[in-house]
Amino acid sequence: VPCVSGDLSKPTNVTFISINMKNILQWNPPEGLQGVEVSYTVQYFIYGQKKWLNKSECRNISRTYCDLSAETSDYEHQYYAKVKAMWGTNCSKWAETGRFYPFLETQIGPPEVALTTDEKSISIVLTAPKKWKKSPEESSISMQQIYSNLKYNVSIYNTRSNRTWSQCVTNHTLVFSWLEPATLYCVLVESFVPGPPRLTQPSERQCVSTLEDQTTALEVK
Amino acid sequence: RGLRRCLMSMNLHRVEESFRGIKTAIQAKDTFQNVTILSPSETLHGTQPLDVCCVTKNLLAFYVDRVFKDHQELSPQIMRKISSLANSFLYMQKTLQQCQKLCHCRQEATNATRIIHDNYDQLEVRSAAIKALGELDVFLAWIDKHHGGTSAA
Amino acid sequence: DGAAVLPAPQNLSVRSVNMKHVLTWSPVIVPEEIIHYSVEYQGEYESLYMSHIWIPSSWCSPTQRPECDITEDITATVSYSLRVRATLGSLTSAWSTLKHRFNQNSTILTPPRMEITMDGFHLLIKLEDLGPHFEFFVSYWRKEPGAKEHVKVVRPGVLPVYLEMVEPGAAYCVKARTFVKAIGRHSAFSQPECVKVQGEALPL
Repeated sequence: VPCVSGDLSKPTNVTFISINMKNILQWNPPEGLQGVEVSYTVQYFIYGQKKWLNKSECRNISRTYCDLSAETSDYEHQYYAKVKAMWGTNCSKWAETGRFYPFLETQIGPPEVALTTDEKSISIVLTAPKKWKKSPEESSISMQQIYSNLKYNVSIYNTRSNRTWSQCVTNHTLVFSWLEPATLYCVLVESFVPGPPRLTQPSERQCVSTLEDQTTALEVK
Repeated sequence: RGLRRCLMSMNLHRVEESFRGIKTAIQAKDTFQNVTILSPSETLHGTQPLDVCCVTKNLLAFYVDRVFKDHQELSPQIMRKISSLANSFLYMQKTLQQCQKLCHCRQEATNATRIIHDNYDQLEVRSAAIKALGELDVFLAWIDKHHGGTSAA
Repeated sequence: DGAAVLPAPQNLSVRSVNMKHVLTWSPVIVPEEIIHYSVEYQGEYESLYMSHIWIPSSWCSPTQRPECDITEDITATVSYSLRVRATLGSLTSAWSTLKHRFNQNSTILTPPRMEITMDGFHLLIKLEDLGPHFEFFVSYWRKEPGAKEHVKVVRPGVLPVYLEMVEPGAAYCVKARTFVKAIGRHSAFSQPECVKVQGEALPL
């Protein structure tokens, strides 16, 4: 049933939230209609193409987000998306995003961080974040394959000296040696790509303790 | 390798910052979403290393000689950002001219440039200038990719 | 015509240190009156292609002080023309233009301030953040005859940056200089700072 367009105010803050090329369109309900049973319909547009396209899974939905990752997976293209609200026979005008350019705007998620320790050193193995993929069967693409100048900012906190320091690396394995034995160290890693600033997400903080100094342990026996 | 060393001295950070200052306003004025000027898939994607110098030279000239001239701006804030872009492109042109001997233009590069000029000529000049300005991020991302990530973090 | 009554500002000059550029001029004095100034600039592009265009500066159109921070206006490594005029109510002076065009590649680059610390056997450096233009070349060596000098490119951040693992009982020295890619120049090195590592030297 066609609705009367424009009687309802538009959804607000329509924007793409993008992390590792997983591109979610999200918005806020129209002013004054929070808590009311409103439904939404989404369309998207590939810049330079001819017409707006429907996203069937996001027609007449009640949630305020829509996953457009598959539709915007060619990250070197640019896109628009729009959403309108419907309530009974009334509907709003379309609320549109600005031009979305995944290649420049996606956030680079943190790497996976694996720590192993011995008496005086901590070995860190980083695994580059993975690009979003349509299905688990699809082969994984590392964000490093898209951004060859991807780097990592590794910060390490010595809980005993209460000191934190950092190191910028491009390789995926590094060893902090000559640490203090039997000391808890906490490590945090952030991916970043030189160029236009992007939002970043640091990894979970992981803490490990270096082992007891074996020489003093033997003397004690 | 010579071209990368030649352009390594460019600091794209300021250029990208200037574009971010105009992106929303300029792209909002571009109402022809169904046409593009740079048409990346036909012109920039898949540029061969041999053609990078020529495409860079031609596109810098396109913006310096046409786009920045054709755009008329009333807002002082936008005017300042566009002046920053225009003067940065002028500097990039001078830097590239130091490598003139490396800049051999093959047919592929010439074709890509002609498509861009043809797209530009399809539109009324003010609309064309706005659209080309709004697509600067595509060109800057291409420069970043092909000139070894010359932008400072 | 009110323009001729008010004298134009004189002695325009630019003071530029570490990519911060300030235009200064002699104040126009009218007893018991507040004079405002307006600053405009023209990059090489405007001079070449649109010479009628002058752009109002970001922070000083208008201003009451006889100086203007033009750092955000000078954004490319080309030559810029700058001009100032004074206004008092409806009276405006003639424009006064900087005699020589200004280019940011003439900026004075000073050696960076740095702080050398250690965490256990890890040599750390903290550098002043001079802005996005700046990279830092850090040289460090063990303080003994014939010691090899190591060099690292460091980008400033909130945290101290790890340089090297150091041996107990040894002494190490560090110096740093800035590099500005936009103008392809670096500063002089800072004075070396040396630190002694606690503990006894390791047996050979």
